[in-house]
Amino acid sequence: MLTFLRRRIVSSAIPLLVVILGVFFLARLTGNPANLYLPLSATPEMRAEFAARNGFDQPIIVQFGDYLAQLSRLDFGESLRTAQPAAEAVLQAFPATLQLAGVTMLLAVVGAVVVGSLAAYRPNSAADRGASFLSATAASVPDFWFAIMGVLLFSVTLGWLPTSGTVGAAAWVLPVATLLIRPFGVLVQVVRGAMVSALSAPYIKVARSKGAGDQRVIFGHALRNAAAPALTVAGDLAVGLLNGAVVVETIFGWPGIGKLMIDSILQRDFAVLQAAVLLTALTIFALNILIDVCYALLDARVRQGVAA
Amino acid sequence: MTNSPTTPPGKVSMLSLLARDRVASTAAVVLVLIGACAVVGPMLLGDLAVEQNLRAVNLPPFSIGAGWEFVLGSDSLGRSVAARLVVAAGTTMSVAVPAVLLSLTVGSIWGMWAGFHRGRRESVSMRIADVILSFPSLLLAVVVLYVFTPSVANIIAVLAVARIPIYLRTARAESAELQSRLFVDAARTFGTGSWATIRRHVFPTVLPTLLTVAAVDFCFVMLTESSLSFLGIGIQPPDMSWGLMVAQGRQELQTAWWIAVFPGLAIIGTTVSAAMLAAWARMAGDPGQRWRLTLPRRGRGKITARKGVA
Amino acid sequence: MTSPFRPTSSARFRAPRATVLVAAGAVLLTGACSVGGSTADAPGDEVRIALPEEPPTLEPCDASLTATGRVTRSNITEPLTEREPTTGELGPKLATEWEQTAPTSWTFTLREGVSFHDGSAFTAEDAAFSIDRTVSSDIGCNVDGYVFGDSELTTNVVNDTTLEVATAESDPILPLRLSFVEIVPAETDAEAKVREPSGTGPYRIETWDQGVSLRLARFDDYWGTAPPFAAARYVWRGEGSIRAAMVTSGEADVAVGLAPADGAGDRAVEYPNNETSYLRIDATKAPLDDIRVRRAINYALDKEGLVASVFSGLGEPAAQVVPEGVTGHNPDIEPWPYDMAKAKELIQQARADGVAVDTAITIIGRNGIYPKAAEAMEVAQNSLLEAGLKVDIQMLDVNAWMEYLLRPFPSDAGPTLLQAQHGNQAGDAAFTMGQIYGSEGAQSSYGTPDLDRLIEQAELASGPDRQEKFTEALAYQNDEVVRDAVLAHMTGIIALSPQVTYEPNSATNDEMRLAEMRPAN
Repeated sequence: MLTFLRRRIVSSAIPLLVVILGVFFLARLTGNPANLYLPLSATPEMRAEFAARNGFDQPIIVQFGDYLAQLSRLDFGESLRTAQPAAEAVLQAFPATLQLAGVTMLLAVVGAVVVGSLAAYRPNSAADRGASFLSATAASVPDFWFAIMGVLLFSVTLGWLPTSGTVGAAAWVLPVATLLIRPFGVLVQVVRGAMVSALSAPYIKVARSKGAGDQRVIFGHALRNAAAPALTVAGDLAVGLLNGAVVVETIFGWPGIGKLMIDSILQRDFAVLQAAVLLTALTIFALNILIDVCYALLDARVRQGVAA
Repeated sequence: MTNSPTTPPGKVSMLSLLARDRVASTAAVVLVLIGACAVVGPMLLGDLAVEQNLRAVNLPPFSIGAGWEFVLGSDSLGRSVAARLVVAAGTTMSVAVPAVLLSLTVGSIWGMWAGFHRGRRESVSMRIADVILSFPSLLLAVVVLYVFTPSVANIIAVLAVARIPIYLRTARAESAELQSRLFVDAARTFGTGSWATIRRHVFPTVLPTLLTVAAVDFCFVMLTESSLSFLGIGIQPPDMSWGLMVAQGRQELQTAWWIAVFPGLAIIGTTVSAAMLAAWARMAGDPGQRWRLTLPRRGRGKITARKGVA
Repeated sequence: MTSPFRPTSSARFRAPRATVLVAAGAVLLTGACSVGGSTADAPGDEVRIALPEEPPTLEPCDASLTATGRVTRSNITEPLTEREPTTGELGPKLATEWEQTAPTSWTFTLREGVSFHDGSAFTAEDAAFSIDRTVSSDIGCNVDGYVFGDSELTTNVVNDTTLEVATAESDPILPLRLSFVEIVPAETDAEAKVREPSGTGPYRIETWDQGVSLRLARFDDYWGTAPPFAAARYVWRGEGSIRAAMVTSGEADVAVGLAPADGAGDRAVEYPNNETSYLRIDATKAPLDDIRVRRAINYALDKEGLVASVFSGLGEPAAQVVPEGVTGHNPDIEPWPYDMAKAKELIQQARADGVAVDTAITIIGRNGIYPKAAEAMEVAQNSLLEAGLKVDIQMLDVNAWMEYLLRPFPSDAGPTLLQAQHGNQAGDAAFTMGQIYGSEGAQSSYGTPDLDRLIEQAELASGPDRQEKFTEALAYQNDEVVRDAVLAHMTGIIALSPQVTYEPNSATNDEMRLAEMRPAN
């Protein structure tokens, strides 16, 4: 397992370099930021001065070299927008997103495993159809609808929850609920599908012939086998939350990295964008390594189960 | 894989199987209707959908006496929401269907290939997927806006590239797991080529999960398309798509809910239908499961349960 | 989290940066639970304000940026002179009086007994430092570009309360320009911008929990009348309907930047926000190079219909981009009447003369420039199609749109109509005419030598003559150049809770004075 981990981490180094390289050059294909940071009436001299101050007057290769040199000193550059170190902005925003995404994924996975398995227990029954229908609906509700309607109902009309903000446990309810519906819906579909297949597989019959009870059959062998696709999809959904919690972060004023990243793209704040992508890329790579480890463990157990 | 003795394979039997299933056939009818709207809608209602009437803005749905075209109300420029919904189906489908199909095809073939061969090919593919996943898709979109001319093909490309890793990873995971199973091993020992083995053994097993994911991905693609419009590379007015209608109606959710809610319902309806049909197809395509669909409707649950215990 | 980061030299914070990295790693690992600071509900004497975005910085020399100026100006820092938005008069602030001692020289007498938040006393030294820092330094102040452009100033400290400012050329509105220079203590970093400045204003920065909230507290040694509220707490929410909901549910007292459909209900207060929307006609390309086509565009647009429907009845059909209350406004120019028949006729005439009226014109729009921006352009497109032109729409994001707004314009673009909006924060047409209508203006797609001359003469004039000359230039533009299709003077909306009284005015967008907010009872 340790050799596997080491190899896996080493093999992630080149892709990470590709990400650094890609973001740097792609970002510079999105136009000159001078217009956004200078007053509309700025003179050509001011533009030249702005370019010189931020190094944009250098050939792009030189800029990239400087950037790599900075990176090697753990210097991530400075935000054009706030004149703050980019690393500081990114590290301030990241925990907020990570916590939100963590809570959401935990709830989504647990909920989806329960609902998906129950639905698959009797395929094509009314309960199954109901679960499929509801989860497909949940997966496709536009998130801003859900968020704004939730605020209007629970905050404005009923006054139970705060409209937005991050203070207190009640403030988590609407953001988590909004973020939850799509991953939950998708995962229920995937778990249900995989469980239906798994329940009709030969090795389940083996388990049954050994006299295992219904509950154990479902939650023991079948779930373990159904876990592979669910794990992959859950991983991708978690990645989506890290990169894509923008709507929730914007609406609820959640100081997270999704909004920071979008703002830095729209505002051509290159240093912040690069730092943010680098950090999320690291997290995504780590998450995928974790998933691979889970696979390996699962795989071993499934084989053991079949062999037994 | 064994052939189920009860249902002979063939297209006719699939159709009659579909007709037996009320939910699945409803879903199929909905999808066919939407397809029909997409094809003939722009011809029939194209003019009505862009006709502005600034004296009849934000009419609520079912406004009596305003005329049939305002059955679903009017938007903030007095255009018929019903006509716009029908016409927008065309643009929406011409973006969403190719985007989903493209990412599904490329991602799943690549993923099965990678998972089947394992080793270096697999790890390189997976690292490429990691790289794509690490890029915010909005960044790709803005790059496309600045480097290429905006067009429908570009929207499809941006959406498809962003979604390929999802299918790639899912297909890889299942196919890698299958690759170690006995029957695939056997096929290989008998000298079957790798593509043939993938097609015959891996593809049928991997497909159901991929279809499930693709079905719910429809809504994602449709909603993402609307955020691209805001950057200037999506559908531009006066053309319309459901995503764009949802986005424009967003500002008026409190004063004229119907502008955003009806296109949102259309997106949900399409996605749910696709998901239900995918669930049905998964069952109908699985010889071990198909018998469930042939049972008489009443008491199905009980019989299943008994079978399960037996 | 409140540590002000004063970027001076990169050597200085190489070490802290690594520390930050390690510390944040620890936070991630332990999964620190609360996001940002948690504070109890606001006490009664705090006014809570919901903004559309967090100020990127509170740096006073960037205060011409709306998001910064709204918090900094007149609250944290103050200028020498101040323009009263309601009357248009220039009044004293940190300077008590001023006079033009020579064509290129002004003398300011400064207020005594004023101290900064950091405890130091305000003197002419500080004023000179602030002006030099804003106008002559290399830190790239936004105010410098916005107000001063190329012109350089020289300061001369005569004594503690007397300051001389010299300009290279005669500048009749120097005191007005200086109302944009916020005064900071001479100890402020001259080599770099500061995020959390010290000033002489009625409020000082108490805590800035980045990403979460910003709290200002009353400055006890303020030289003027103490403001009614003891503190102000700013939060930011990107969604207008959420800001409105915060006021209706009692979580905030003031919500700014609302749209009519945001649902503030009877809490909403409307005010003319000083912005004028217009379509800029790119008169250098066929068919827009023909004045008949430009006139036809003006006749074809139903401004009243647009205001009534798309702008929900808020706003007023406009005739010129310089609104009432700004020096140079011409009260005699009437909005172009809506006359579709005339528009069609003009297009026909142009067509008969061989003008390429069938060339597709692109409307370059910007999402969010004002509420329902895309819808407004769809209405314009519809009218122009009816008049007989071919028109497409392209809605862009800010930076892509700016490529069209500012020189040099994209070379491959065909004939365009640009969706634009202009707000004259300063109250003098000099801040509008040159850059918008001059042949070489940064935002100008077309001008004529005659118009250039009129503008130049007006800029050098003073007193009633100045008003007269700008009026003339505007009339000439409207009659003989027709570079724009002006749409409407816009209306802003804020929401106020029952606990607060505040009267928004045309400057509220750029400068929201906390001292003018008071508890309702």
